[in-house]
Amino acid sequence: MPPPKTAKGEYIETDTGNKISRRSQIHGTQHIILGGKTVIQAEAVIRGDLFRTATLPTDPNNASAAAAPNPSTPSVAITVGRYSYISKSAILRPPSRLHRGIHSFYPLKIGDHVFVGEGAVVEAASLGNHVHVGKGAAVGSMAIIKDYAYVLDGAVVPPGMVVPSWCIVGGRPARIVGEVGEGYGVEGAEGGMARERYRVVGRT
Amino acid sequence: MSRPFPYTYISCPCADTPVPDPARKRRSRESPQKSPQKPPPERANTDQDKKLSAKEEEQGEDEDEEQTFDPRSPRSNFSLYPPEQLLYCEECHQIKCPRCITEEIVSWYCPSCLFETPSSMVRSDGNRCGRNCFNCPVCTAPLAVSTIENATGNAPQQGPWVLSCGYCLWTTLDIGIKFDKPTNIRSQLQKMTDSTPPAALDRSRQASRTFEDLKHPLSSYASIDEQSNARERDGEQAAPKEDQGAPPMGMDARFAALKNFYRTQISETSNSPNDHLSSEFGFSSPGALNRLMSLYASSSRLSGLYGGSKKPKSKPPVMREALTASEGLQVASENSETDMIARLQSPECGWDGMASIDQRATQSPDARFIDDLLPLPVLLRTKRAKRCKSCKHILVKPESKPQSTRFRIRLIALSYIPLPTLRPLAPSSSSALPAMAPTSDLNSLPPLRPIHILLTLKNHMFDPVRITLATPPVTPGRVATKVTVLSPQFEIGANSDVWDEALQGASAPLTSDSRSAALRGVPEAGKVWDKGRNWTTVVLEVVPGTLPGSSAEGGDGNPNTETNDEDVLAVAASRQDEDVLEIPVFVHMDWDADAQLDQQNVGKGSKPDDKVTRELAYWMVLGVGRIQPSL
Repeated sequence: MPPPKTAKGEYIETDTGNKISRRSQIHGTQHIILGGKTVIQAEAVIRGDLFRTATLPTDPNNASAAAAPNPSTPSVAITVGRYSYISKSAILRPPSRLHRGIHSFYPLKIGDHVFVGEGAVVEAASLGNHVHVGKGAAVGSMAIIKDYAYVLDGAVVPPGMVVPSWCIVGGRPARIVGEVGEGYGVEGAEGGMARERYRVVGRT
Repeated sequence: MSRPFPYTYISCPCADTPVPDPARKRRSRESPQKSPQKPPPERANTDQDKKLSAKEEEQGEDEDEEQTFDPRSPRSNFSLYPPEQLLYCEECHQIKCPRCITEEIVSWYCPSCLFETPSSMVRSDGNRCGRNCFNCPVCTAPLAVSTIENATGNAPQQGPWVLSCGYCLWTTLDIGIKFDKPTNIRSQLQKMTDSTPPAALDRSRQASRTFEDLKHPLSSYASIDEQSNARERDGEQAAPKEDQGAPPMGMDARFAALKNFYRTQISETSNSPNDHLSSEFGFSSPGALNRLMSLYASSSRLSGLYGGSKKPKSKPPVMREALTASEGLQVASENSETDMIARLQSPECGWDGMASIDQRATQSPDARFIDDLLPLPVLLRTKRAKRCKSCKHILVKPESKPQSTRFRIRLIALSYIPLPTLRPLAPSSSSALPAMAPTSDLNSLPPLRPIHILLTLKNHMFDPVRITLATPPVTPGRVATKVTVLSPQFEIGANSDVWDEALQGASAPLTSDSRSAALRGVPEAGKVWDKGRNWTTVVLEVVPGTLPGSSAEGGDGNPNTETNDEDVLAVAASRQDEDVLEIPVFVHMDWDADAQLDQQNVGKGSKPDDKVTRELAYWMVLGVGRIQPSL
């Protein structure tokens, strides 16, 4: 049940200019870094609570090794750059992997000017700058999407896939199907609409 | 990739010059500079009468070549491109589409590990990644190297290792392959699949060499008969040698053996001294052609012409074919086909056990079943530089490093032509046009109801640009949509300074806010809607036409609710996408550029202060939306 419409409007605007829908579901906020001017739309789910746990000291001699790097670095689950846009009902979830018998989460890094389409599920290890993830697409665990890559609507990027820059991937499983033009990402053109998108949010 | 509405495409002028005829090319290069000065009146839908009359005179001469661009014509499919895909050649002063450029490879890289592969390696080893990158033979997803051993804790991980697919859960265990090391999987795999290890390959090579030595004294056969005798003899000698249990070779080994065999054959059978087939240059060398010519010429009367009299007439030696397994011969087993059919029919194979055509296409021709599929090393990709086809000027040159997204040279059209963006003008409540329909849904535009569309052109050049827009009053095709550009002539400011932009960044949203613009009231003819530092917005008034067969067609446009909806849909579907409202717009721009070392243009429009007037004209197509089938 959606909360009643407040007079303040749908979006909370933070000091750094993030516009976050009141109807989004953000878990583990202390593990999420938003770079500013990021838009998070209604019903988007951001799982900051799935961060890398300090240790799993199952083994006494293992605990010292695993615990050492962790206290120094605060566990960040999700980093989002500037002017990124998380559409309605998209899900951001840190990737996870079974490593040496331990299931652990890894940080999810999202660059600047990234667009995540409606209902998309992103479990990538990283999305570069100017990445477009289409509507209903799924980006599998530990995938790496480089700058200016374009994931078509409904694509399923398999776990661990690397999508090089300027490539268009689509299909299930996703394959490289083409390349975007050289002008992709120019401000105001295709791939460079992030500022415009940010501007119109919450102005209705 | 179809785009959501509203979109803009730009037509590359190269579509009008289909034949690379030099005379034509010259003419066409001139035409975009000449023609825009006189857009014919049928598309100049301006309401300025004096302009009209001026253009009327020139209509006659232009009529044959100047035609309204029809976005629906089948040919326009090949010339329309999204603006960001177009390049611009500074030599030719023209827009360049992917059809009017040539590409050359800057570097090869693996899309999976993003390592560059030197082109020499690509030539010798083929264009596949030589590291650990593999694609799943079943679903093409990338394979990951993982261990089967359930290692926990800090113990160093130990094999055996397998490749596993994270998408369809196929692993190399399914075809019974495990690896000892997690590195250099490609060579490990090669060793496993070629059942002749390198040592054995050497042996076979040696064998065939000794074989050659044996045969050598007999090498110049006088006739076919003699050769076949020799072949029998050779075969007898060879057969026992090979039968002592050499396992069947893998595809690659067999190819290598065959290649080696034919190379030696060529060197053996060549009789002319200047025949260098056996040398490094191989078959493609001019020597190969020489040899072929002499083969055919010697038996014919033509030999006299080619100086055949010099040589004593002797039959050229004949190449034989591979005879033994070591030479790469593979004898089809007698009942392999029946075995295969039996296997296909057996319940444990079934449909799922067979490889699909897509899967087989990337495998060796013998692969029939799922078990035969091998992991595929990832195909390399390239970074390519682009050149103008007509003047060979480099237009795009990316940095060679695979990870880099920068360019050394990047002449994209967007830095020269104004970037068009389209936006429906939202009717405000205070609007004086109550009849205007809400235009929020571009996928169902009501026919015969005027809508206003804002077309913003943003200049990326450092010079101010004068623009003239022209559209046909009625869109071509069966759906006649009326289009009027309310202010067809306007200027766009220069993209003066990067710092200006940065400083204005804060205030820009205010000036271009649609609501503040809406306060200006109704769109007026002859006035630009809004203007910024380097952009200008004009209004297009569009009256969507009625779809053929729809209720509102004909008559006086009265909605006839009795029409059968199914009929309407059937008619609308009869021609695909006929309901898409696309408006062709002719854009003519001119600006005063700094005169460079450009001899050809100096004479034309040189101004006192070293400025040259440049012109560019092109068609652009605005995809506005879809028209509803009925009112």
